[in-house]
Amino acid sequence: MSKLNETDIQGFVLRGYNLPLARYIFLHFEDPTRARGLVSRLLHEVTTGQRWDGGKPESTVNIAFTHRGLSAMDLPDATLLSFPVEFQQGMKKRAGILGDTGLNSPERWDDLWREDRVHAWLGVNAVSPETLESRCAKMLGLLQQGDGATVLSSQDAASVVIDGKPTTREHFGFTDGFGNPDYLGVDRSSQPGQGKLMPNGTWAPLATGELLLGYADEAGELPVAPVPHLLASNGTFMVYRKLHQNLATFRAYLHDHAGLYGGGPEKLAAKFLGRWRDGTPLELSPDQPDPSIAQDPNRSTNFTYGADPAGTRCPIGAHIRRVHPRDAFGFNGRLINRRRITRRGLPYGRFVAEGQPASDAEDRGVIFMALNASISRQFEFVQQQWIEYGNDAHLGNDKDILMGNHGGRGRFVLQGDASPANPPLICSSLPNFVELRGGDYFFLPSITALGMISMGLVDPR
Amino acid sequence: MPNKNGKVYGLTILSPIIDDDQATPSHDLQIREYLATMPTGEQSPFALAPGTHLARLVVMDDVIYVGMPACEEHLKSKYLVFETNCDSDLEGYMSGLAASVPEQLNAIWSHCVGYPGAADQKAFIGYMKACQIETTFFFAAINDKSVPETLRALQTQRAVTDFVANHQGMEPAQLQREFAQFVTELKSEPLLKAASMGPHRDIKTGGRNE
Repeated sequence: MSKLNETDIQGFVLRGYNLPLARYIFLHFEDPTRARGLVSRLLHEVTTGQRWDGGKPESTVNIAFTHRGLSAMDLPDATLLSFPVEFQQGMKKRAGILGDTGLNSPERWDDLWREDRVHAWLGVNAVSPETLESRCAKMLGLLQQGDGATVLSSQDAASVVIDGKPTTREHFGFTDGFGNPDYLGVDRSSQPGQGKLMPNGTWAPLATGELLLGYADEAGELPVAPVPHLLASNGTFMVYRKLHQNLATFRAYLHDHAGLYGGGPEKLAAKFLGRWRDGTPLELSPDQPDPSIAQDPNRSTNFTYGADPAGTRCPIGAHIRRVHPRDAFGFNGRLINRRRITRRGLPYGRFVAEGQPASDAEDRGVIFMALNASISRQFEFVQQQWIEYGNDAHLGNDKDILMGNHGGRGRFVLQGDASPANPPLICSSLPNFVELRGGDYFFLPSITALGMISMGLVDPR
Repeated sequence: MPNKNGKVYGLTILSPIIDDDQATPSHDLQIREYLATMPTGEQSPFALAPGTHLARLVVMDDVIYVGMPACEEHLKSKYLVFETNCDSDLEGYMSGLAASVPEQLNAIWSHCVGYPGAADQKAFIGYMKACQIETTFFFAAINDKSVPETLRALQTQRAVTDFVANHQGMEPAQLQREFAQFVTELKSEPLLKAASMGPHRDIKTGGRNE
């Protein structure tokens, strides 16, 4: 496995920038030639995966397109038709498959996502508000120059700031961002527990083709990709979902059920997620949070569920055990290696500390962005089978307690043991703690592919 | 031993489909049309009749060699393939189907060569036996329980979970009284229908992702 050509891959794919501020700008193309001209101008701005030997940049820019957007730039039909079906359809048409019904159904989404007009996502990350504003102003200048695109809307997102410091917490108070996998060839400070489980119990990087098009995946095949190869290679697909968090409902539910639960409210919250709010995995420390584990890269993701088949430490239906089951399904974890996703994204909306009044109506949540080589095999499978259904985990019809589209029904079984501090509990009449407000599927091309698109050189023959 | 694994019977039936070039649409297409619209939930004939763990009906047109150099081979006929994991044995299961869902069986198998109809059970079973082939390897995750035992277990699991959810934190003496009453009521509950406990799905394809 040779090293990847990092200068040809968008930086957003290879690394979480860990920059505290972001603005996602959504574009509509009016004219193919003008749109391609815009891509050409943006090409000089796009942040690549090149190592930051000279220090971290103060801001970054990345770009991705919906299928509609690629069509609006007049890519050849033979190319457009060669994209995977789910990408051609877009996320709205996949609502039935994804369980995006009821409270999460497209008719309840933000106007932006109901209207089928989004052609491109322009993601700007920055270290400070001033840097964000100045980089965005520069981008808007480029957009206006030559009428390349109309800005439909933009979405601000930012790390939650606590005591003046940006954190990796989300609005429910959990520490986020532990679970991203390692991939072969991707230069990243890796830690045990983030790739795939090997028969000897160690962890190894996943095949590059689980993330990037043009490389062998875990089945030893090249992922399904559009033609020509050069358009697809070093690119990936991105799922964008705006997930509204019903903070008041979450806190009230936790409070009400903590009264029934002998382990206390913090432990109950930890059982929902599988980690204490500071990030300590329940599997490694079932009785209390332990910062020495949560902050140690050699331990914070380094665990399996094999010694806890009954879920008395980490419940079988806990969020992290559902979406990354590790060894929980047996066969040394092999059943899950083709179902992994890389998550990017940040919270949006005002953070409200515990004890302060909060309302569900306030605009607050997480911008969830997942990168994967196959949206249907990876993201959609996880969403359909592991979030919105329970069969693989032997949980029948139960859904993920935090992410599930419960609509007031459903249940979460918290396995326990005979000790008073770790009793079992059944949570029922589950509200939607999280509601979908829209999103779509995007293609994040390589730098070469952006060049081909901008110059009208995409040739499927 | 073929066909049997513990209590569960693995049944495979291959019925040749009538080849009649005067028939429009052809018999195989008529079966396909019927199968495409057949209910898969509580109204499925296999939920209405007793004894089916899972069943699959497939129209097999021909065999196709995938490889190089191309090699042309053909079946002598198109076949309806019926695979099921069921309780009891072939005769018991088939007579249950014939008694419960004869119209559905006739709608499907009347397009097959030599099908006698479901009304004459003896002839029906004889026909199915003649079409049976040995099943040596079949879906095993059935825990060696019959369909009624499985449904009862699911119903009990659901009821007990609901009971726990609604009685958590209750004072012990009252909890015991209510539990005793719950157990009595549960025992007298009629068995829920097959396929009635699954999740509601807007898509018919279950776990299929495309």
